[in-house]
Amino acid sequence: MKNPYYPIDTVVEDIITETPTIKTFCLKPKKPIAFRAGQFMQLTVPGVGEAPFTPSSDPNISEKMEISILKTGKVTDALHELKPGAKVGLRGPFGKGYPLDKLVGKEVLVVGGGVGLAPMRALLYALFNDPSKYKKIVIKFGAREPEELSFRRQYDEWGSLAPNISLQTTIDVPHPKWDGHVGLVTSILDDLDINIPDSYALSCGPEIMLKFVTLKLLEVGYKPPQIYLSMNRKMSCGMGKCGRCNVGHYYLCVDGPDMCYDKIKHVPNVFG
Amino acid sequence: MRFIDSTNFERLLKKLSSEGELFVPVRDEDSGKLHLQRAESFPLPEGTTFDGYRTVESLKAFGQLVRSTVAEYPMPDGEAFESEGQFPTFVVVGAKACDLYALKMVDKVLIEGEFTDPFYQSRRDHMIIISADCSECAESCFCNLLGKRPFPEEGFDLNISRISGGFLVEAGSLRGEEVISANEEFFTEPRPGQAKARDDVRAKVIEELENNNRDFPEATVMTEPLRELLTDDLWSGEAARCVECGACTNICPTCYCFLLFDQREGNESYRRISSWDSCQVTGYARMAGMGTPRAHLSDRVKHRFYHKYDYLVLSHGEIYCTGCGRCIDACSAGIDMRDVFRKVKAQAAK
Ligand SMILES: Cc1cc2nc3c(=O)[nH]c(=O)nc-3n(C[C@H](O)[C@H](O)[C@H](O)COP(=O)(O)OP(=O)(O)OC[C@H]3O[C@@H](n4cnc5c(N)ncnc54)[C@H](O)[C@@H]3O)c2cc1C
Ligand code: FES
Repeated sequence: MKNPYYPIDTVVEDIITETPTIKTFCLKPKKPIAFRAGQFMQLTVPGVGEAPFTPSSDPNISEKMEISILKTGKVTDALHELKPGAKVGLRGPFGKGYPLDKLVGKEVLVVGGGVGLAPMRALLYALFNDPSKYKKIVIKFGAREPEELSFRRQYDEWGSLAPNISLQTTIDVPHPKWDGHVGLVTSILDDLDINIPDSYALSCGPEIMLKFVTLKLLEVGYKPPQIYLSMNRKMSCGMGKCGRCNVGHYYLCVDGPDMCYDKIKHVPNVFG
Repeated sequence: MRFIDSTNFERLLKKLSSEGELFVPVRDEDSGKLHLQRAESFPLPEGTTFDGYRTVESLKAFGQLVRSTVAEYPMPDGEAFESEGQFPTFVVVGAKACDLYALKMVDKVLIEGEFTDPFYQSRRDHMIIISADCSECAESCFCNLLGKRPFPEEGFDLNISRISGGFLVEAGSLRGEEVISANEEFFTEPRPGQAKARDDVRAKVIEELENNNRDFPEATVMTEPLRELLTDDLWSGEAARCVECGACTNICPTCYCFLLFDQREGNESYRRISSWDSCQVTGYARMAGMGTPRAHLSDRVKHRFYHKYDYLVLSHGEIYCTGCGRCIDACSAGIDMRDVFRKVKAQAAK
């Protein structure tokens, strides 16, 4: 039998600074770990603890994995202190991942904010695998300041990968080094060049952003079954056993973390 | 079905005790309550009885230790779980029907699904269960409100029903049948009238339960109204009395929630611990950056009821409460599940 609590020995091969508070950790587990976009891992810092993170790397690659992490507490502080060569542990993958099958033949809207861009990058890699399978891929990213936009070195490349892909970014408040759009990410969701009835929207970001993105999407004509949100709850086991991560009767670690809004819209305080 | 007299039953237990650690219900002289106790030698401890109702403790701790190591890392081949020699066999005698229902519910969570908790599974595999009918019920017992009966129908290796001079014995598993066939000399065929004697006791206990609980509605009144989202007054009312001790979840045989955390062992070695946890305490669901989705005590009290009477019905197909009433006995604030059923029913009727 397998012990699902054991963290697989993993080496941090490289660390990329994405923003002042986000670093991407390039990891090599002792044996390949196959995952689907949106599935998450439990990452162990030995002796400190575990926390859930969704890989930000290409799901087609299983020998290595990248995870982009915002520094915010005990485990993530310890992660940000690590140097290449450090030993960590990985368990997983857990959860369902993004509903990729549903997206085929559709116009896909991807809305990300802050560290939420990390899981979205894995989704984009999966979509970019064969962009022609989707009618359109419309990407909308937001952050507080220009330097807080993760992966910005890749945006030009992504936007020009295929004619049906577009990418727009925004920052919350004006900045001397920014000549792009200014305003919350919801402000670039008004005039979508999308046939909404034929579309799915997926969003990942802080809960407060998810809340306002959802309200905006509903306002512009999306129906709850067309909206997928990457939800966040405290987790421990990652496999539906410890009882911690529920949203209503769903366990995010098993039924999510990306949840169809239609399933959870009735849950009180769903956005925390 | 077979008959075994009391002397032979003790002989049988003595034999079985060579297979593992024997646990029996022992009556505490002062409180009159039963506690599961290890019987390390024979004769059985004074006060041992297979009559009465459930013990104070459930069987939860046999499957899920209060605190246990679930991984030591790094380790060569640490992912492979080897059950061989890890756990002792437990021979648990006198478990009641509610205890068995609870085990089955927790099995569903910890064993079934894409992942299995190998520690739990292995401890469960190492349990020999000799259950017993209830011969009376406690004031707090309410299994009848959950459509359950006070005598075991499944989930045991052997079940015993006290009748004059000994017990009627039923096998509920292959292992149970083997125990009987390996110890034929202890058993006889039941005499006419013995089955009726057993059924009379069963009927008497059911009647007692129905009498005790006649003022309360069935637990199914919870499920639908909860889904309809009752107003929060109900929960703040219960929360006003709750002292947040977590006794209800600790004593509950179907509360299985746990927390994983890591400890440093040596220079470069670490231990991962799994420990019982309670949704009634603040830290349980706290998250990075945004506090907890259940900041108020009333949210947590409410969560306990929703989890048992609604969420698990939707995700695992049944109410996760056996009506054992342990939470009622354990609550220093006097919160009574049945009272909540009644309030919910009243509110739903409005
Ligand atoms: C499925 C899933 C995927 C995720 N993917 C990613 C990802 O790709 N990248 C990423 O960066 N993050 C991701 N997260 C979030 C990440 O898991 C958390 O940021 C991480 O668990 C934080 O752990 P920590 O030990 O550093 O913080 P902790 O130490 O657990 O928490 C620190 C934070 O909690 C708050 N806090 C601390 N103590 C208290 C207290 N007593 N009371 C109230 N609040 C307190 C503080 O505000 C502080 O900011 C994901 C989460 C989930 C569930
Ligand atoms: S993290 Fe344990 S149930 Fe989801």
